[in-house]
Amino acid sequence: METTDEARQEAFERRIARGEKIEPGDWMPDAYRKQLIRIISQHAHSEIVGMLPEGAWITRAPNLRQKLVLLAKVQDEAGHGQYLYHAAETLGATREEMIEALLTGKAKYSSVFNYPSLAWADMGIIGWLVDGAAILNQSMLARCSYGPYSRAMVRICMEEGFHKKQGQEMVIRYARGTPGQTAMVQDALNRWWWPALMMFGPHDSESSNSAALIRWKIKTRTNDELRQEFVNELVPDLHALGLSVPDPALRYNAETSNWITGEIDWDEFWRVVRGGGPCNKERLAARQQAHDDGQWVREALAAYAARTDAGRSTA
Amino acid sequence: MDTQWPRFEVFEQARPGQPHRNAGAVHAPDAEMALQNARDVFVRRPDCASLWVAPEAAIYSRTAEELTAGEAEAGDEHGPTQMYQVFQKQSQRQAETFVNHLGSVEASSPEAALRQAAEQWGKGAWVWWIVPESAITRSTEAEAASMFAPALNKPYRQPNYYHVQTQMRAVRAHDPDEDEA
Repeated sequence: METTDEARQEAFERRIARGEKIEPGDWMPDAYRKQLIRIISQHAHSEIVGMLPEGAWITRAPNLRQKLVLLAKVQDEAGHGQYLYHAAETLGATREEMIEALLTGKAKYSSVFNYPSLAWADMGIIGWLVDGAAILNQSMLARCSYGPYSRAMVRICMEEGFHKKQGQEMVIRYARGTPGQTAMVQDALNRWWWPALMMFGPHDSESSNSAALIRWKIKTRTNDELRQEFVNELVPDLHALGLSVPDPALRYNAETSNWITGEIDWDEFWRVVRGGGPCNKERLAARQQAHDDGQWVREALAAYAARTDAGRSTA
Repeated sequence: MDTQWPRFEVFEQARPGQPHRNAGAVHAPDAEMALQNARDVFVRRPDCASLWVAPEAAIYSRTAEELTAGEAEAGDEHGPTQMYQVFQKQSQRQAETFVNHLGSVEASSPEAALRQAAEQWGKGAWVWWIVPESAITRSTEAEAASMFAPALNKPYRQPNYYHVQTQMRAVRAHDPDEDEA
């Protein structure tokens, strides 16, 4: 039985249209596979690099409860990176290729992690805004057409609910706290607001990948739609807490019920994506060091495996 | 140096009596390490009672599409038999689960085991996994406390530990003018 690629492509598009999940073993166009490897591995790298801004504060948490919460959150990010590397592997990418691409700067990760976390209140703002933005994007990806990616996202979203809430809880506490705490949390908001909005990516009109991703139901909503939902959800809460959003152009449009922000500084966005952010070098150096420092563990496991294999074959 | 390690598929059971279901995968040099890694990667929440791991290379996996497109794979019908555990993806509904454990069959090849499983559980599956019983390593009763109990004592990992909605309502009730939208 001869099946042409054209017929396969049509059958594939029909499966996508019916809302079926594509699973490992199913036929898929090469471009679909490549797009998925690109976004899943970037997503995995983001989880792994995303441990760094918060990891820096674990030893400086003000009390044991906060320390346990932060430890648990950073540990989750490590696990989420693992789920995602495994999902990318089902498409034929190897762990080594993906880590190599991260360490040589070939693969990207979310630019938001190239900003420094300068104060303890950043832990609250990162949880509420950065994890909140990630959850919006990930809830969409949980419906994506590729089974392994979709399932990893469902699991991650379930676990990340606490990340966002512990951040919001902290912001609520400091916003109603001493003048020093209020100033600290306002300063953190001032620094993270714009990077958080940039997490949704370029405008739809500038996003070269959006059309294909939406056609194949990898994404089901556009960058701008998600960003608008994020702003609409956050602004009233921030105002209720007496915090001010660092955007003089921010206004409410009663007709559309949307909060309209000023323009994002896209020059800054692209500069940070291309490696010129405040922490790009530091983040990659930290990953490289972790990789090098783990060398002895990989060697010890290899020696252990070789010895137990030898033990089994002579037993 | 190859640092990739063989890939093991991981099956988790949420509560005793429920079927084991595929959670994802880990890499490890052997099954014992795979079980440890599976525990670290997949059991940060208190909803796991048992873990199984099996090397990916030992799993015979077929999607509905592969079964329709491919020529019927005969497999050995007459050799000595062994036990296979059968897993199936049953629906297209969005869910965390992939393939669920259905039960076991005795067969002389994975292909024969799949034919038997299709007769027993119906042909409507989206994905079949046939795993030789001999390839599966399971967490033991003795290990259960050390593997799964720690997650029970970490309520701060659960979203319902935080009461931000209630807190925001209190903030708004206290100062209604602040709420513009």
